[in-house]
Amino acid sequence: MTRNVMVIDLRRCVGCQSCTVACRTWNDLPMDIIYNPVLTEGVQGDWPNVHRNWLPTLCMHCENPECVPCCPTGASQQDEDGTVWVDHTKCMGCKVCVNACPYGMRDVSHMVPRFDQYVRKCTFCRDRRQNEPGKDPYCVQTCHQKARIFGDIEDPNSEVSKLINSVETFRLFEELGTNPQIYYIPFLGGHR
Amino acid sequence: MTEVDIHAPGVEVRKSACYFCHQNCGVLAYVKDGDVIKIEGDPEYTNAGGLCCRGNIALKHLHHPARINHALKRVGEKGENKWEKIPWDQAISEIAERLNKIREESGAEAVATAGGTLRTEDWSRRRFMNLFGSPNSFHNALLCWIPTFMIETAISGWSPFETDLASSKCLVLWGMNPGASSMPGMKGYTDLMMSGLKIIVIDPRYSETASKADIWLPLRPGSDTALSLAMLNTIIYEGLYDQEFVQNWCVGWDELVEHMAQYTPEWAAPLTWLDPEQIREAARMYAKNTPSNIQWGCTWDQIGANGGAGTQARALMRAITGNLDRPGGDTMPGPSFGYVTDEEIEANDRLPEEQKAKQIGSNKYKLTSWPGYQIIADTAKATWGKAPTAEWMCEAHGPSVFKAILTGDPYQVRALIVSATNPVNSYGDSKMTLAALKKVEFMVTCDYWMTPAALYSDYVMPIANALERPTIHTNYGVTDSILCSERAIQPLYDRHTDFTFWRDLGLATGQSEEDWPWKTEEEVFYYIISPLGYPVENYDQFVETYRMYFPPQRFYKYGDAGFCTPSRRCELKSSILERLGYPALPTYTPSPESAVENPELAKEYPITLTTGGGFMPFHHSEQFNIKSLRYLYPDPYFTINPKLADKLGIEQGDWCWIETQRGRIRQRADIESLCDPRVVFVPRGWWFPERGVDDPEAPFGCLESNTNVLTCVDDNYCDPLGGSWMNRGLLCKVYKCTELDMKLRQDTSWSIPGNAKEPGIHEMPSDAKLAFDPIPYDPKPTFEVPDGLVWDKNRLKAVQPETGFVYDPDSGWLIDEATSVYYDLVTGYAYDPTQGNLVDVNTGKHYDMETRQEIVSGEGEE
Repeated sequence: MTRNVMVIDLRRCVGCQSCTVACRTWNDLPMDIIYNPVLTEGVQGDWPNVHRNWLPTLCMHCENPECVPCCPTGASQQDEDGTVWVDHTKCMGCKVCVNACPYGMRDVSHMVPRFDQYVRKCTFCRDRRQNEPGKDPYCVQTCHQKARIFGDIEDPNSEVSKLINSVETFRLFEELGTNPQIYYIPFLGGHR
Repeated sequence: MTEVDIHAPGVEVRKSACYFCHQNCGVLAYVKDGDVIKIEGDPEYTNAGGLCCRGNIALKHLHHPARINHALKRVGEKGENKWEKIPWDQAISEIAERLNKIREESGAEAVATAGGTLRTEDWSRRRFMNLFGSPNSFHNALLCWIPTFMIETAISGWSPFETDLASSKCLVLWGMNPGASSMPGMKGYTDLMMSGLKIIVIDPRYSETASKADIWLPLRPGSDTALSLAMLNTIIYEGLYDQEFVQNWCVGWDELVEHMAQYTPEWAAPLTWLDPEQIREAARMYAKNTPSNIQWGCTWDQIGANGGAGTQARALMRAITGNLDRPGGDTMPGPSFGYVTDEEIEANDRLPEEQKAKQIGSNKYKLTSWPGYQIIADTAKATWGKAPTAEWMCEAHGPSVFKAILTGDPYQVRALIVSATNPVNSYGDSKMTLAALKKVEFMVTCDYWMTPAALYSDYVMPIANALERPTIHTNYGVTDSILCSERAIQPLYDRHTDFTFWRDLGLATGQSEEDWPWKTEEEVFYYIISPLGYPVENYDQFVETYRMYFPPQRFYKYGDAGFCTPSRRCELKSSILERLGYPALPTYTPSPESAVENPELAKEYPITLTTGGGFMPFHHSEQFNIKSLRYLYPDPYFTINPKLADKLGIEQGDWCWIETQRGRIRQRADIESLCDPRVVFVPRGWWFPERGVDDPEAPFGCLESNTNVLTCVDDNYCDPLGGSWMNRGLLCKVYKCTELDMKLRQDTSWSIPGNAKEPGIHEMPSDAKLAFDPIPYDPKPTFEVPDGLVWDKNRLKAVQPETGFVYDPDSGWLIDEATSVYYDLVTGYAYDPTQGNLVDVNTGKHYDMETRQEIVSGEGEE
């Protein structure tokens, strides 16, 4: 069985937001939708003893997603490989799932006509992977720093398995019990 | 959803490239029915599939509603924004007619051209100008690498900009932030860092790169020269240099040691705001961990008055630590012997000597214009038979051309062709530059967009973008590798490439078809790559099958024939700089504007200002009109330390004025500990294309948040070697905007010099003083020059004027340097080593060595 996950290596991320822009152009998103914002608190500490970090985010493609069972039409669903996605032909834009998601990673665009207002979210580039098996989600490919790594956690030889099993990783809001499938490698280094 | 099926019938993949910065990442363009429907990064290219923010918006750029799609001819007043669409050919012939008339009346030098950053075929611009007869083409390149290249080349024969980082032990990123400006490079640095390479970042900002580095030196902006001199001092006086290399391969060591005694870390400490021990530490780390490498950062060419000395000191650091051209060190590629270099298709030999002498600024900034370039090119040709590119390396001084437009000094420049640049935002002293653009008699702009320059033009020419043209990347024509990409689609609408523009204009101004033997880029690119000998029939085929050419990296190339300098050694004491009237050893000049050296001025303007650094998602002044990028950074934000913001009563997001002696701009405050509490960092490039011509005096808000309103291009602010002006370490004051202030119109008053209190022209450029006076160069011969020979002070040799043979004072013979044949000083007969006597090369008769009497040949002679 395949279980797709993403590892985000914070040691590599420089906060350029290429993934954000790339995702928007690749998926042709309206201006008010962002699938994968890069968050930062800015530079922390007192000059010159400072540090900074960036946190690229996206849908966590949880093992136990809150957003799937709450959907009244069955539009919000999960593939066998763990990909959580929304069938826009079934979605009526009621936004129950938008409220359910603890990560705030899905929304309806208000810049499109009323009848096109369905819930949009990251699908790990489901259509791209279906069209061309073997290809990574586009944010993974576009990252110059290779800070995003995508793959099958069930496959012990995949890069993601090797990373998760060899270096310390953390996940966001693990305590909520949704079992998110985006693993972060913390950045602890920096200048002295 | 919106996924394009790239396997659908009729979809073709083209190996195109991104052209939004110098990295030239590979792009796969999916083309259907003559239009690009999707792009993605090319996984098999140097970028490994990666594309940054800018690269990903290529399609938005291609189809942007604000793109200029047809040639525009001005019908209203200048700047009124009234245009008539005319066919390309008509525009070309009208422009040509006008240029020819100006050439007839005022000479070809009255026509100048301004070029943009590496996204054009600029050798074709140079070719046009050379054939047209004008020496006045220029770039903003003086702020970006060109002075560095020329100074390093003068000292060690070629700029050591290639790397072999995998073998390096220590890497210095100096004034460079690849984390925001060269993304594929940053990946490489991170990989190496993770495998143990130590990285020193020298940057006044806590940049993206600094946040990942092992050691970070936050120096005072603009004090890089003082730091490099003190590091050089430490390396010399702590004995950290490579003795063997210095002994065998360098000249001028003793003079250098003596000269550098004055620049101690204690001397540099107050200038750099660093601790002397920090400076020593950095110098030791660099010099002890060889092979080590210093990467070039743009800062070096934006320091102003003493920038050249800093570059010189850094070049010497590389040299005396033995890092030049060794594995893991600073590798010097030299020109390409494989393919045709840019210089070979620029037609520089077609520009007459008397026109070269008219190049504006070449009497002041000699190293990056004809006087210096000629020496360097001659030396390179004598070494390799090839020379560095003249386009970029040998140009008029841009700000001086703008001053010439306004003052008529040294002569009136009447026409300006602007290609791929937005001078108001990218050149120093924007208000003066804008005034020059408004005043110039005839102007043509080649661009994607309506820029302030385009607005004041008589013709605006629609230019094809990266997907509509093939591209070649050879690092300004001065390296030996080549990266090639093909055209995804033919240009849309009536757009054309800049190569087509210069070729068409060349033909229309009377240049012949033989002068422009190639009709398309593909033809000329095929000509360029043909000598590589790949079995291809055209350029596209090369791209499809090979795409790039990297010759095997060769080290210690100076072992073959010495360094490419006049003495064939690495010249610690540079004879080329000396000949041009510059200090031969790195010599500090106080900055005209700095908190430490100018305390009087610092009373009124207490804050140190640094500008010019690149930031995501924009590149220079580009992409401000692309919504998909602009939403990341909709307003201009300058960075200010919380302590300083507190003191000034500024809160996050407040609109503030930043004011220097030249004028003021407004930006919003971003309060972060990203820079020292004595410093503000103001990002470059800002204009507001979405506003249109709201203010006819300063359209597109081009003076409102533009840092170059704050910078200065007065001659005493420029580096006398290369002519680069000062973007780092200026003095400013910062205060909050009031409500009334926000409604004020922009102040467009300008002055020459820029620091004058009253607007207008107060000083003719010819009378302006440089940051330091040239040192007269008049060396006397060290031996007695025989009668009939002439002392050539540039070559330090006695020369026979009729033949060009050089006198060798040790042996007393004349030597033909080209053939190494010896000639007798008295008779002029050549020495025949096979028979041990003299021979008259004209008659073939032999003469005795001693008596110089003809030897009558004996019997049986062959």
